[in-house]
Amino acid sequence: MTTVGTLFIALGVLVLLLASSGLFVLKDALSRQHAATKAGSLGVVMIVSGAALIGGNWSWGWRALVIVILVWLTMPVASHVLARAAMRESRSKDEVSDTNLQG
Amino acid sequence: MMIILLVLIVFGCVGLGVLRFVLGPSDADRIVALDILFSSAVALCTFAALSTQRVLFLDIALGVALISFVATLAWSRLLEKRNSDKEEI
Repeated sequence: MTTVGTLFIALGVLVLLLASSGLFVLKDALSRQHAATKAGSLGVVMIVSGAALIGGNWSWGWRALVIVILVWLTMPVASHVLARAAMRESRSKDEVSDTNLQG
Repeated sequence: MMIILLVLIVFGCVGLGVLRFVLGPSDADRIVALDILFSSAVALCTFAALSTQRVLFLDIALGVALISFVATLAWSRLLEKRNSDKEEI
């Protein structure tokens, strides 16, 4: 149980590292959001469930379950709103540069 | 010993997030960096629970996850509202 939990936590940390390196590899706010939110939610869920496996107790288990359900309910909503804001911002910036070119 | 290495890697994630938060050309980049920072905070709370063997830190992780949702939602709604106001002008 401890070995599986440690493996889960190591994989989750790796996914979190990938997500945060995506902040620098990708060029656009929209694609950065794509990398960060998706991979971030998977990483957090893997870390928390690995901790529940290491704890091996229901007092760890149901707390981890609540965190997993909360993250999986809220992360898509937050990422959708964030993507819409990023899209609007890039579009308004494009319009500003277009008017500058025309003027 | 394993957990110290993992905590150091998560600190690296926090460093990358802070760097993007400071550098970020647009405000949307800053919100994305904030998301990464909150995910790292949940991970660090879990590591604190593991290293002290106290389940109490998982409750703190739950609270941090809730704050992350509300903060991301509020800030991106603010950004969206500001841009739509700019378009009307």
